[in-house]
Amino acid sequence: MIEKTGVPTPQDLWKVFPPKERLEKGPVAIIECFQRIPCDPCYTACKKEAIQEFEDINDLPQIDFEICNGCGLCISRCPGLCIFIVDQTYSETGVLIKLPFEFLPLPEKGEEVDALNRKGEVVGKTKVVKVQNGRYEDKTPVISILVPKELSMEVRNIRLRKNND
Amino acid sequence: MISNKDHENTIVCRCEDITLKEIRDLIKEGFKTVDEIKRISRCGMGPCQGRTCRQIVMGEIARTTGKDVSELRLSTFRAPTKNIKIGILAEAAEG
Amino acid sequence: MHIKEHPILAFKRGRRVEFFFDGKKMWGYEGEPIAAALHANGVRVLRRSIKLNRPRGFYCAIGNCSSCLMKVNGEPNVRVCVERLEEGMVVGTQMAKGDLSRAKANPISSSGGGSGIRKTDIAVIGGGPAGLSAAISANQMGAKVTLLDRNSRIGGQLIKQTHMFFGSEKQYAFIRGIDIADILADKLDKEMTDVMLNATVLGYYREDGVLGVEENNRFTKIKPERIIVATGASEKVLAFPNNDLPGIYGAGAAQTLMNEHGVVPGNNVLMVGAGNIGLIVSYQLMQAGINVKAIIEAASKIGGYWVHASKVRRLGVPIYTSYTVKKADGRESLERVTIWQLDKNWQPLKGTEIDLNVDVMCIAVGLSPLAELLWQAGCQMKYIPELGGHTPLRGEDMQTTVKGIYVAGDVAGVEEASSAMVEGSLAGLCAAKSLGYDNGRFKELREEAINELMNLRSGPVSEGMRKGLEQLI
Ligand SMILES: Cc1cc2nc3c(=O)[nH]c(=O)nc-3n(C[C@H](O)[C@H](O)[C@H](O)COP(=O)(O)OP(=O)(O)OC[C@H]3O[C@@H](n4cnc5c(N)ncnc54)[C@H](O)[C@@H]3O)c2cc1C
Ligand code: SF4
Ligand code: SF4
Ligand code: FES
Ligand code: FES
Repeated sequence: MIEKTGVPTPQDLWKVFPPKERLEKGPVAIIECFQRIPCDPCYTACKKEAIQEFEDINDLPQIDFEICNGCGLCISRCPGLCIFIVDQTYSETGVLIKLPFEFLPLPEKGEEVDALNRKGEVVGKTKVVKVQNGRYEDKTPVISILVPKELSMEVRNIRLRKNND
Repeated sequence: MISNKDHENTIVCRCEDITLKEIRDLIKEGFKTVDEIKRISRCGMGPCQGRTCRQIVMGEIARTTGKDVSELRLSTFRAPTKNIKIGILAEAAEG
Repeated sequence: MHIKEHPILAFKRGRRVEFFFDGKKMWGYEGEPIAAALHANGVRVLRRSIKLNRPRGFYCAIGNCSSCLMKVNGEPNVRVCVERLEEGMVVGTQMAKGDLSRAKANPISSSGGGSGIRKTDIAVIGGGPAGLSAAISANQMGAKVTLLDRNSRIGGQLIKQTHMFFGSEKQYAFIRGIDIADILADKLDKEMTDVMLNATVLGYYREDGVLGVEENNRFTKIKPERIIVATGASEKVLAFPNNDLPGIYGAGAAQTLMNEHGVVPGNNVLMVGAGNIGLIVSYQLMQAGINVKAIIEAASKIGGYWVHASKVRRLGVPIYTSYTVKKADGRESLERVTIWQLDKNWQPLKGTEIDLNVDVMCIAVGLSPLAELLWQAGCQMKYIPELGGHTPLRGEDMQTTVKGIYVAGDVAGVEEASSAMVEGSLAGLCAAKSLGYDNGRFKELREEAINELMNLRSGPVSEGMRKGLEQLI
């Protein structure tokens, strides 16, 4: 279905989600890359070598969740903007999600913004915890947000409130 | 579902203002190559040299003749690739 | 409206100057195309068509289509999408054909012509990724190059690409297109390559092997030993009622307007085509603060990369597959588009119409090789739909059926910047070698390039491409 809608199905997603036990251990990368395309910068970006070397540049990325420490360095290196970090251990109340966001204005730390799902629908509100926008991110800022646990596998984008009215 | 009126409002050749209706009528009359259509209608002879309209004309011919576009004969191309201000060429000829 | 703030781009603009449009005073930036300045002032109708008196705006924004002819300082038939704004310019809507008898009064063309013939080892036509790579590797081998591009900036398509590229490190993956253009331009050997900008190659004269060039409104001739044609591709058009209304632009044209010239094409956009270009330009429109209402695609599947599709979906842009344009409406410029669904046999289904109120429609239904020069030169061409249309036959070394004429990049089959760069290198190497230049590494570099091309094209998304190429080599 993703080939018709651009939205991955639950079946697609299950294939790339880390096991529950791994999620409970701390931050980890989720790579929502489902199509064999000639692309491999995620592999070169990961200094921990959690992403396996590509034998063929068209391979799908293979990540070892046990090696990945959720550092997030791969987020702004992926041209597909399809890598997200999920940390279910971040706090009692919420899960931390790190996502790429290439729009202006950028949200500010502490700002309340709309949380969007993979279809761009508003599924709740969320608070911005951190905005990384340095030389490394190179104009692909990485935003950290806090969402309730049940939305942690749903929310993949944000929208600023002031843009909305 | 699409009326004649619609074909009159569909522009094939922007340069020479030629509509889809005109092109279809020409094909119906028996003009079945890009070159013939070009000579009779000026379609493809505008300042863009057919860059914009050629592909639509080829598609129309292929559709009506049941041929593949690859089988169609194409018109010849002559320099220049872009119509330029007359002054420039005149001057080049002089100099 | 000029874009004030952009997440990726910083626009370098000239000073603010005054100009006149049909007697009205307006402001623009010196050096921007007149069409961009007019657009920023809300003027989208540039002329009346020659017979039917229909309103017309620009369409291609790069001097290809002649849709934008206007009267400038009394001179008719000026392509305002490329002509630069100057202080005090008097710009007028062109009615019908434009009075040609006045064209001679053009003050620019009388500034002296170059009648001497320039000689060079290799002329590279087109300064996109293919042409740049060709020049770089020909230089490496020791050949002197003249690199020509009709644009005022080098880089071809790259200078509009604000997104990170795919590929691997070698082809500058994850670097943005605009930055790749700079990297390649830096790599040019300035001693060995003569770069001519604002230089359009008008024709190839087969008899004496001479290229006719218009450079900054002057005509010059170049006689090269070898020619590498890297002219890229042009955007395809679509036929539907009122397809010529101002506001209906090529997707690449909208991208040029917003990313090169910093002017928003409109407020609400319908994108036609869900290939990579349609998807990427939609994303970039959103980045420039413009609302994309929907993306439609006639095929039953999204043609572009799914990651690009997912990116725009996350922004809330719907993608309708199996939909096409029924018609466009608007009095002077686009106001509304009606789309409808196609059945399995590509027949429209009555009753599925949806009206969308949009002021811009971008057409992204594919590119076709910009191959006039190859036709002129007598190169054998073959119609290969997978590669965008008529494509030149060539050998493994990128030489066409005409000896001494090489091709690289989109003109040799519409593909990607990554393969364009490798093809360019290959053509540059082989053209130089054929003239006897070799720095000792020719064999090794040639092999490397051929392998790289094979790697890039080995995946499932390149299947059509592979099939097409098999017919050419
Ligand atoms: C929206 C969009 C997104 C894209 N995204 C990607 C991507 O993510 N990854 C990727 O690998 N590729 C991408 N591409 C494709 C890539 O940009 C092209 O394949 C690539 O630019 C082709 O390079 P080229 O050098 O053949 O042609 P071009 O870049 O088109 O360069 C051709 C040059 O030739 C000049 N020229 C043409 N005719 C003449 C003449 N007669 N005289 C003088 N000069 C002339 C033109 O001005 C132009 O500068 C994208 C393309 C578009 C439109
Ligand atoms: S999050 Fe860090 S460790 Fe995990 S894959 Fe990405 S770069 Fe590697
Ligand atoms: S960099 Fe991103 S798009 Fe490319 S293969 Fe890796 S995850 Fe997929
Ligand atoms: S559109 Fe037909 S010649 Fe230009
Ligand atoms: S030539 Fe100006 S818009 Fe095409």
